[in-house]
Amino acid sequence: MSLNDAVRNPFARGSLLMRSGATAGDRTAIARLTLVVLVILSAVAIALSVATGASDASAVNVIGALLTGADDTALSMRDRIIVFDIRMPRALLGFLIGAALAMSGAVMQGLFRNPLADPGLVGISSGAALGAVLMIVLGSALPAGVMLALGAYALPFAAFVGGLLTTLLLYRIATRGGQTSVATMLLAGIAIAALAGAVTGILIYMADDKQLRDITFWGLGSLSGMTWVKLFAAGPIILIALLVVPFLSRGLNAITLGEAAAFHMGVKVQRLKYTAVVAVAGAVGASVAVSGGIGFGGIVVPHLLRIVIGPDHRYLLPAPALLGGVLMLGADMLARTLVAPAELPIGIITALAGAPFFLWVLLRDRTRNGW
Amino acid sequence: MITARNLTVSLSGKTIVHGVSLQAKAGALTAIVGPNGSGKTTTLKAIAGELASKGDIAINGHDIRALEPWQLAIKRAVLPQAATIAFPFTVREIVRLGLTVGPNRHAERVDAITADALAAVDLAGFAGRFYQELSGGEQQRVQLARVLSQIWEPMLDGEPCFLMLDEPVSALDIRHQLAIMQLARRYCEGGGGVIAVMHDLNLTAMFADHMVMMKGGRIERAGPPVEVMTDDAMEAVFGCRMRINGVPAAGVPFVLPHTASA
Repeated sequence: MSLNDAVRNPFARGSLLMRSGATAGDRTAIARLTLVVLVILSAVAIALSVATGASDASAVNVIGALLTGADDTALSMRDRIIVFDIRMPRALLGFLIGAALAMSGAVMQGLFRNPLADPGLVGISSGAALGAVLMIVLGSALPAGVMLALGAYALPFAAFVGGLLTTLLLYRIATRGGQTSVATMLLAGIAIAALAGAVTGILIYMADDKQLRDITFWGLGSLSGMTWVKLFAAGPIILIALLVVPFLSRGLNAITLGEAAAFHMGVKVQRLKYTAVVAVAGAVGASVAVSGGIGFGGIVVPHLLRIVIGPDHRYLLPAPALLGGVLMLGADMLARTLVAPAELPIGIITALAGAPFFLWVLLRDRTRNGW
Repeated sequence: MITARNLTVSLSGKTIVHGVSLQAKAGALTAIVGPNGSGKTTTLKAIAGELASKGDIAINGHDIRALEPWQLAIKRAVLPQAATIAFPFTVREIVRLGLTVGPNRHAERVDAITADALAAVDLAGFAGRFYQELSGGEQQRVQLARVLSQIWEPMLDGEPCFLMLDEPVSALDIRHQLAIMQLARRYCEGGGGVIAVMHDLNLTAMFADHMVMMKGGRIERAGPPVEVMTDDAMEAVFGCRMRINGVPAAGVPFVLPHTASA
């Protein structure tokens, strides 16, 4: 293979990366380099996301004015509100949501030993949707005090609880004699999703026009309307999951050889499965609760990174988190600016850009993956 | 030493192993043989701690059910019959998975042991290859390298370690069958122990110190191969009349691993 080929396709057999010698087959270096690049990209994406938007408000001016303590009147109140109260929570929460969805995909794929697994498989999406619709249609029947206490949190709270409860139920169904069968969980997940869909359907049938509109808006999914309140509600749950999950990396590596092999290698398999499922349910539940149903690359992002850095979860958990956040903000920036001052649903952007790219990658690597 | 006393294993209500008692000594290769479905693999899995079972199982005097998974993992390693992997791991990455517990997890030892383990299974130079691109026999040897690296020293803290191998040579050509059995013998000579489920009776006769013959979930015969391998035992266990050390009728060639040199 010529150097030219190696540079063009550094991951092909016999290329620079896979050269023989002491480091053959060791992708640690490229994985670490990838992480460094992704950290830088993440900072850039968050900064750009705060700096750009449909309005001409200048983030540099706003922050500069704050730092130098310039008089407030020099800066319009409108710009401050746009930068601080609209763009910042949107950028931070958008990043967290993208990170949560992509990392959860990597966790589920490792746990189910299947590159096509995604968080939706464990019932989170269907449960969250059911929770949200229940709250929209039947929330008015709750005691007024409860609704008042929940306030703006009512809908996200219901979605979060719905997702978590469905996941725990599935986990219980799939656990017998202290052993959780991931295959049973997968199959029961399909049944539970159908059931939740049917109940959601009944509720939609019962709903009045206003409720129908609320359901549709929630289901479309969007990063608009992110506030500091939502950030403080969902952010901590997502952050805890993002920080806990990397501790599962060695166990997830071992479990790719099978649950028995993981046990042989010293992994507490049952605890690993429980921690992974609850962390994913929490992170994805919180994300779906505040952003609605954003279809996103829980499959695509980990798959792309697996091609570059390999399936070692010590890197394959943090890297998808960072790339997921970056791509989410990138898609959101396009969604906000392409048809400004209107806004495209972000799901359209992620699907339009992501799907063809994913297909191209699949076709290119067909032989290696044995598909 | 690994001791199992009165071991009974039931899978989904059906009793597969009935009151099996066996000992696997350090420094010795113990082979479990028997027809398909005789409970060999189930016995091995129960001893590995992977299956729920009744009866006593102890490794070096410690009840295995009282040990944490990591405590077991530094004293015994298990080679499963077959492993499919859904993700594109390189050979080096697979072997390295074995090096996450015990004293071998330390970074400065990982690369050296990975290379030594691959050389031991005759796969030096394969570290950069993708596991999924290898042949079945090569994959089996990669898994063996991973298992070896998990308990690379046959003795740890003065106690022997045990390799539990489920049909370790089933996918290998004759040269590699011999090489892997010799590798298992060297592990025993280093002070460790080996328990292997075997189908090849000739290799078992050549390499095993202790031979356990199972049938219908029970032990039918046990002892050194030279004692237990009799015409009657073959018929009783395998249901097939064969003559030990009999020479076939002229005209049909035969070849025995015993005659291999180097």
